[in-house]
Amino acid sequence: MSFSTALAHHFLPETILALGVLALILIGAWRGTRAFGLVNELAAGLLGLAILALFFGQTSEASLFEGAFVDDAFARFVKVLTLVGSLVTVLMSRDYLQRAKLGNFEFPVLVVLSTIGMLLLVSADNLIALYLGIELMSLALYVAAAFDRDDARASEAGLKYFVLGALSSGMLLYGASLLYGFSGTISFDGIAKAITGAPPLGVIFGLVFVLAGLAFKMSAAPFHMWTPDVYEGAPTPVTAFFASAPKMAAVAITTRIVFTAFPGIVGQWQQIVIFLAIASMLLGSFAAIGQTSIKRLMAYSSIGHMGFALVGLAAGNEAGVRGVAIYLAIYLVMTLGAFAAILQMRVEGRPVEKISDLSGLSRNNGTAAFFLAMLMFSLAGVPPLAGFFAKYYVLLAAVDAGLYPLAIIGVLASAISAFYYLRVVKVIYFDEPAPAFDQSPLSLRAVLAVSTVFLLGFWLYPAPVVEAATAAAKSLF
Amino acid sequence: MAVAFFYLFSAVLIASAFAVIVSRNPVHSVLYLILAFVNGAGLFLLAGAEFLAMILVVVYVGAVAVLFLFVVMMLDVDFAELRQGFSKHLPVGAAVGAVVLGELGLVALGWQSAPGAKEAAAAPIVAGVSNTAALGQVLYTKYFLFFQASALVLLTAMIGAIVLTLHHRPGVKRQKIEEQNARTRDNVIEIKKVPSRAGV
Amino acid sequence: MIQAIVFLPLIGFLIAGLFGRRIGARASELVTTTLLFIAAGFSWIVFFDVALGHGHASAPVLANWFTSGKLSVDWALRVDSLTAVMLVVVNTVSALVHFYSIGYMHEDPSRPRFFAYLSLFTFAMLSLVTADNLVQMFFGWEGVGLASYLLIGFWYQKPSANAAAIKAFVVNRVGDFGFALGIFLVFQLTQSLSFEQVFAAVPGIAGHKIHVFGADFDALTLATFLLFIGAMGKSAQFLLHTWLPDAMEGPTPVSALIHAATMVTAGVFMVARLSPIFEYAPDTLAFVTLIGAITAFFAATIGLVQNDIKRVIAYSTCSQLGYMFVAEGVGAYSLGVFHLFTHAFFKALLFLGAGSVIHAMHHEQDMRNMGGLWNKIPFTFAMMTIGTLALTGVGIPGTELGFAGFFSKDAIIEAAFAAGEHRSVAYLAFISTVVAAGLTSFYSWRLVFMTFFGKAKESHADARAAHGHDDHTHADAHAHGHDDHAHDDHGHGHHAPHESPIVMLIPLAVLAVGAVAAGAVFMGDFAGHGYDEFWKGALYTGHDNHILHAMHEIPHWVSYAATVMMILGFLGAFFVYQLAPGTAQKIAHAFPRLYRFLLNKWYFDELYDAIFVRPAFALGRLLWKGGDGRIIDGLGPDGIAARVVDGARLAVKLQTGYVYHYAFAMLIGVAAVVTWFVAGGLR
Repeated sequence: MSFSTALAHHFLPETILALGVLALILIGAWRGTRAFGLVNELAAGLLGLAILALFFGQTSEASLFEGAFVDDAFARFVKVLTLVGSLVTVLMSRDYLQRAKLGNFEFPVLVVLSTIGMLLLVSADNLIALYLGIELMSLALYVAAAFDRDDARASEAGLKYFVLGALSSGMLLYGASLLYGFSGTISFDGIAKAITGAPPLGVIFGLVFVLAGLAFKMSAAPFHMWTPDVYEGAPTPVTAFFASAPKMAAVAITTRIVFTAFPGIVGQWQQIVIFLAIASMLLGSFAAIGQTSIKRLMAYSSIGHMGFALVGLAAGNEAGVRGVAIYLAIYLVMTLGAFAAILQMRVEGRPVEKISDLSGLSRNNGTAAFFLAMLMFSLAGVPPLAGFFAKYYVLLAAVDAGLYPLAIIGVLASAISAFYYLRVVKVIYFDEPAPAFDQSPLSLRAVLAVSTVFLLGFWLYPAPVVEAATAAAKSLF
Repeated sequence: MAVAFFYLFSAVLIASAFAVIVSRNPVHSVLYLILAFVNGAGLFLLAGAEFLAMILVVVYVGAVAVLFLFVVMMLDVDFAELRQGFSKHLPVGAAVGAVVLGELGLVALGWQSAPGAKEAAAAPIVAGVSNTAALGQVLYTKYFLFFQASALVLLTAMIGAIVLTLHHRPGVKRQKIEEQNARTRDNVIEIKKVPSRAGV
Repeated sequence: MIQAIVFLPLIGFLIAGLFGRRIGARASELVTTTLLFIAAGFSWIVFFDVALGHGHASAPVLANWFTSGKLSVDWALRVDSLTAVMLVVVNTVSALVHFYSIGYMHEDPSRPRFFAYLSLFTFAMLSLVTADNLVQMFFGWEGVGLASYLLIGFWYQKPSANAAAIKAFVVNRVGDFGFALGIFLVFQLTQSLSFEQVFAAVPGIAGHKIHVFGADFDALTLATFLLFIGAMGKSAQFLLHTWLPDAMEGPTPVSALIHAATMVTAGVFMVARLSPIFEYAPDTLAFVTLIGAITAFFAATIGLVQNDIKRVIAYSTCSQLGYMFVAEGVGAYSLGVFHLFTHAFFKALLFLGAGSVIHAMHHEQDMRNMGGLWNKIPFTFAMMTIGTLALTGVGIPGTELGFAGFFSKDAIIEAAFAAGEHRSVAYLAFISTVVAAGLTSFYSWRLVFMTFFGKAKESHADARAAHGHDDHTHADAHAHGHDDHAHDDHGHGHHAPHESPIVMLIPLAVLAVGAVAAGAVFMGDFAGHGYDEFWKGALYTGHDNHILHAMHEIPHWVSYAATVMMILGFLGAFFVYQLAPGTAQKIAHAFPRLYRFLLNKWYFDELYDAIFVRPAFALGRLLWKGGDGRIIDGLGPDGIAARVVDGARLAVKLQTGYVYHYAFAMLIGVAAVVTWFVAGGLR
């Protein structure tokens, strides 16, 4: 296979996005401030095209660029999720940004750039590719967080995220240099081969620091501190983006690195992952209680959900990875649906984000209220909604791996978190109506409806997702 | 000889990095930073990477650090205010720092590389190829992906800087040369006859 | 084609259910009814192709549903002769009922909902009969249960309708629990749930024992027994029958579709479908026979004294279902299915006819307030008479002349007698079915005479005063207020009875054709010479099961017994209600205990109330107030909730908003993990 065919077969989505984003920048620069709508649509088209390329592309496994980039079923599975997250964000952002006078063509461009970083990250097969992917993804996110630059909260969010992100990058690099120093190679396989027998302390340090850097990106406790502030401060479409696509990529690369670079020291990284999982689940369930802003609530919710995804990882086997993959897919749908609902919260043209603003929604807009309630039930993990199955698969893997305490803590955390999800449902259905929301654009309603239907219908026909996740998990072993 | 220089550069590098953090005057901090960069360049030279050494000096010392210096001087940050609470958090911070430092010491003392790591890490120096040419040879072939990804990172940084700082403020008076050139006496001046003793 | 048959009703449901309010009632009616007629047409094509023609049985797999370990379940649509028969029954009756409902429900404000439910039910029933594995069958099983619940409680403003809906749901739950346990056991035994594999594995495990609760049971007997519990619940057999009469709270077309022709026969269908398993469990078959025989007799006795026109037919349904189980119990599965087939026509006809009567009487259901209607609604009268002739099995023994019920019902009685040679329980079944045939004839003609003949009773008050003495409270409670939602504005029967609109009469006529001819036309195929070509192995009979031959070698008097009983029943009814009106009251006075016993349905409701319902309520209240309220709430939620709030406060306190706090938290996290490992290494 020649280099160019390899590129065409295994690097197509990245190529499409990279070339496309250059075209978008040119269009934007040429048409100036009027370009937003067009660039937004084109960006959505690009992302959609990349998804199609993945769907109809190769199903074989390949390693490109001297082992820097690997294309396998796992990568493709997560890439589809990531692209869906980005695509939906772009579609949902348009109306909000235009109304907020933030309709600059740079936003879709930044989303696409960040997405390229995520795709590289998901496929990264050595330390440099990992780092570059993370930086490309994050840099665009820092800017996106502060996109509403005239808003003090957004600027603060962007700055906080940037400073802490730099710290986490430093940790990651420090860990990477320790690993390189130990093994003399940057490739994951090479590191795996170098670690034989009981690992020296230096490798453990490298592992801890690398995982700390990655945990920051997926906002697992105790590296989560930026999450609530940034979620609350950033413009809502940006928050939706933060909560969806980057999480996919971060969890995916964590999964990949522990299984390809550290298969010899499962016992060690398992302890770290368990620590992260427990801390995240507990923090996610406790801290969300008493929140009044729905965006902050979603921040803690996403922390808790990342904890659950890590439960599957902690199992340390194929079933666990399958659980993680399924969890990511379902989490993505739930998150996008929830943010589609949050973006619809707009009273007399002004966005609102208090939970109390949802009061009595059932009487003002029964359909939206029902969808949002179903989303909350699913986030809480109430059967037969999809959220239940997500938790079921990861907890099952943990139990099978003998991690009973972890599974029990997971169930308890799930029960506690149900409190605040159900409180939202209670507010929607039983409180005195607050002012009605404005008519929302079709894209938001469509996202909300589609995601809810997915969550409601998952138990009827879970096979496509489960099968894809199974294939994805298999490719890592 | 080289070993002695290595320890010299390293010691100065660490000392100046420390000084960046603790010096009270921010301008001094930036100057210490420049010193640290220069020592880093010295380490590169010792390792035989003269191209990287020069790049470090040119880009970081010549451009970045100077930019920092300007910014710090112009912003006039009140660092005394930032230091409030420093002593309050010092004990906890120092304790955690000491623990981490101690553990890193353990790592350093007990350091051992995997067998074969040294050989794997060593870059084969091809005879007759200069440092710069060698970099050029791998940069666009073996590390093509990294090169492109870095380019995208830089592109993102550029877009980000523009998005966050470029203001199109309406009402700002700007010089428009073509308009100035197009001005003629006829379309600028209006002559009014004002009746005398009537006021305007 | 089969996909279209199954999914067209689903599409109808979705359209009417989701957009019903937007597109309006008329459009909803038209869409669902049209789709159902298309599906019914396709069903007949499939029937002619697969059952009567030479089409092959098939089971196209639509998709994998789920796979978990050894358990793999597909969505598949199985089409063989048995399915084809059920498709025809379900879709034909459903289409006609949809059509009929356009007229019957025309005053109801929530018609889109009604038609959506009807289509949903049809879809669920179709997925039940096309199931290729037990899980899909269970899906359909629960689906029809749900639709039945929704339709019984369709007029949810009426407390009695809600109570009836809940009762139907709960009683069915008992049966479904057995069914589910049966499915689990089958999987445990055969490691599969797909019919092909289960049936293939069954001969190999015949005679296996399993050890449960300290005793050994024959594995297949236990499995089939549990499955049959499910059938008992759904088909309202003795002990689990109590929900069916109450289900008459639903609109009458629903009663015709669900509680006469289709859903209640699901149990019969299930036993027939699983005949390869049941054939290896003779003890269960004996139990099936016994339950069928008891139900056939017991329900018929209750039917004798009921006054609500729909309840009489409901008990009749119950009784006829007993016949079908008797047939299956003695190994004549084809006769059971045949009776199911014919019964669907004439019972739907009777129910829709009753609906027409009720419509004519402005939603009056008490037969004591009817009378002399034959010349006011002549067409309905003719149709009801045909239905009655078919139900009572009028025909000439020894010839091929007779109404549908004559062929199917008499064949069951003969089969029961023939099976008696091997199993004494079959003789019991024979006796009870013969007696029940007489009772059936009596109550059916009683219905006709009370409704269509005698003096016209226009005023309710008079009627009730005249019959005041036998107004038992229980019966009376139901005599009021049936279907009374729709006629508040025009009162009880102050208008002259009128014939129903044409849209309601056409379905009657179509069903009447079936009630007359279905028996004579299809007897040979279902249970005669065409048996093998017709069923093509869809029904399984063991090597020593020769019941269909044995039933031809019985004494002649057996064949005549049913007809004689039928004639006696007719004469009895004719005497009591025509020649000597008032005899009924005299008999009731002569045997007051027996009368009340029957009127109160053998006191089953009271018995269940005392044994199950009240203790369950008491236990629930105890657990709620005592266990939950005092102990668990006191120690658990309230205590835990307080701790949770503390935790939340702590977690929120950590979120200060200062960047250096955040960075510090990250460093502490790293330091903690690293220290953990260092400490672990030093150990």
